[in-house]
Amino acid sequence: MSLGKRIFFGAPALAMALIGASAAAEPVRIGALLSTTGGLAGLGIPQRDGVLLAQKLINANGGVGGEPLEILMEDDGSNPDAAMTKVNTLVHSQGVKAIVGPTGIAQTVAIGSVTQPLNIPVLAFTGIGPAVENARNCVFHMTPAQGLNARALLSYAKEIGAKRVGVLHDSGYGQVIWGVMSKLGDEFGVEFVQVEKFELSASDATAQAAKVKASEPDAVIVLSSLATPFRNLRQVGLTAPIISVHGTATYEIVKAMGDAADNIVHAEFLIAEDPLPYQVEFVAEFQKEYGRLPKHFEAAGYDAVMATVAALKRASSNAAPDALCQEVRTPYQGAFAQYDFTAKDLGGLTLSSFSYSLLTKGKFSRLPFKASQ
Amino acid sequence: MTKTVLNGRLAFAAVMLVGLILPAVFERHMVDLLVYAGLYTIAGLGVGLLLGQCGIVNLAQALFYGIGAYASAYSTVTLGWSPWSGILLGIAISVAVALVIGFPLLRLHGFFLALATLAAGTIGTIFFFEWDWLTGGTLGIGGLPPLSVLGFEFNSPARFYYLVWAVVIILLVLSSNLVSGRPGLAMRALRDSAPAAEVMAVNIHAIRTKIFALSAGLGALAGSLFAHYSTYVSVESFTVQRSIVFLLIPVIAGARSIWGTVAGALFVTFVPELLSGFGDAHQMLFGIMLVLVVTLMPDGLAGIPARVARRFAR
Repeated sequence: MSLGKRIFFGAPALAMALIGASAAAEPVRIGALLSTTGGLAGLGIPQRDGVLLAQKLINANGGVGGEPLEILMEDDGSNPDAAMTKVNTLVHSQGVKAIVGPTGIAQTVAIGSVTQPLNIPVLAFTGIGPAVENARNCVFHMTPAQGLNARALLSYAKEIGAKRVGVLHDSGYGQVIWGVMSKLGDEFGVEFVQVEKFELSASDATAQAAKVKASEPDAVIVLSSLATPFRNLRQVGLTAPIISVHGTATYEIVKAMGDAADNIVHAEFLIAEDPLPYQVEFVAEFQKEYGRLPKHFEAAGYDAVMATVAALKRASSNAAPDALCQEVRTPYQGAFAQYDFTAKDLGGLTLSSFSYSLLTKGKFSRLPFKASQ
Repeated sequence: MTKTVLNGRLAFAAVMLVGLILPAVFERHMVDLLVYAGLYTIAGLGVGLLLGQCGIVNLAQALFYGIGAYASAYSTVTLGWSPWSGILLGIAISVAVALVIGFPLLRLHGFFLALATLAAGTIGTIFFFEWDWLTGGTLGIGGLPPLSVLGFEFNSPARFYYLVWAVVIILLVLSSNLVSGRPGLAMRALRDSAPAAEVMAVNIHAIRTKIFALSAGLGALAGSLFAHYSTYVSVESFTVQRSIVFLLIPVIAGARSIWGTVAGALFVTFVPELLSGFGDAHQMLFGIMLVLVVTLMPDGLAGIPARVARRFAR
């Protein structure tokens, strides 16, 4: 073939190839706004691991309708002000289709004022919070609200016949849950015999733990994401059962509890040692990727991306934000739980979503108890 | 008009012109950061007046910043007041609190006074946490309305940019006038030699208390504007760490320079953001940069033009 013919036939082919390459290289962008540093890093880092696993699996299976998925990761440093700045970057500079995260409730409420007017879907790792969130119909919630957490814990207390219950909670999220739980005692036939609070920054809560023990409770509910109160309760010689909110059901926090980690019951979602059928695939993929077992924070990160991509596939990758938001608003079977994003709280978790685990030498085992509405 | 004054005015006009077009040139994210820099300038100006003119280290500015923010949030969201009323309420409460706590505290000096203001700031953070009926506690208060004038809403970073920087310029001019007038002379006198100032019939305690109240008012104004800009307030924005950032502003800028406060505020806003790409290491890098600035530039960032001018004059 002469040089002229080569150019004549080759140029259009080269042009088509370049156009094709550039089209193929145009990714679908989702923002991930997480707290991977600061006070919430213990939750944000596992969420990030789940998000990255989902991205890898989606791209390995053809992306979003043939287009690669790109997740733009931003760290808000566990600070709502920084979250506002970061979300403005993701939405207005990077043009993301949706946002997975934030990790914290303050950040979720804060960024909703940016995303909601634009109808950009946010899949937050928090339960629905203050009243202002009721009007935000594109902020979806991947974890239970405070009231549901409180009911899940009291359901177990009732199950084991605990009538005199002590409560040890921190001044952060623990106080928020206690605010709801304090009104539910009669409903569950429980008397709160001693309620003690400690500061989030406290390295010791022995005095509060001793007061709780002195009240001779049938069980103690711990509302915190720290290992400190568990160690202190055991140090003061508490033998009553300890029931804990899901925030401490991570291998890192359990390790930090040391010997105190035995015989603690968690109201949680993913017991990777004994996963539910809909969790088996995620646990296997996670273990293959990271060489360790996941917990529910990793699962929530994974689910948020998977649910967003499922909605993108239904709506098309260049759908308008409100159309995408509408597509997210549907039931979704996640690895964390069965979600119903059409529910009033835009998450649809219920008491039956909870699993109960018992800690023995740092391992979680499933308890037969299931709470019901 | 001397050549120096003319050059200064031309430079000021050029800076104003650049400032006017920035929202049109910059991405929204950068404009957002400039808004925060403006808010921090207002709060940092109060701390700078105390530090640079009176020699008082104030580690309680986040308390007043928080009072302003919560006054605006509670009065607009819960009571349904107009945003401007909320701002005035926040300033009034902050000034009152500053007078009440400042009267006894400002009899202390040096490290003891710094520790006392640190304690006041810490107590303030605990109150913000505990009084959840007022502050929303950990959940905070959301849904604040944007500020508006005659129906024009300051509901975007670009619009808020012009509002906040107009306020900044007015406050900088007023503060410059204050410092160059008789009160400024008295402040500097008590800073450099309190006994000598007392001999000159300067009422040291009264001046310190008044400037502390003024600083608190500026902190509250910044907090109120912040609340209406972000439309959400939570206790995490008003911790002692934020007070330290406010103190860094005049330290980096050069404590005695009023207009240099802008440079300090830009530094504490933009540098951490630029370094955030380094992940966990960014706070350490920010610390290193702070040490370098303080060590290599004893007059702060505001001293750079004078240094450059001296070098060229040789």
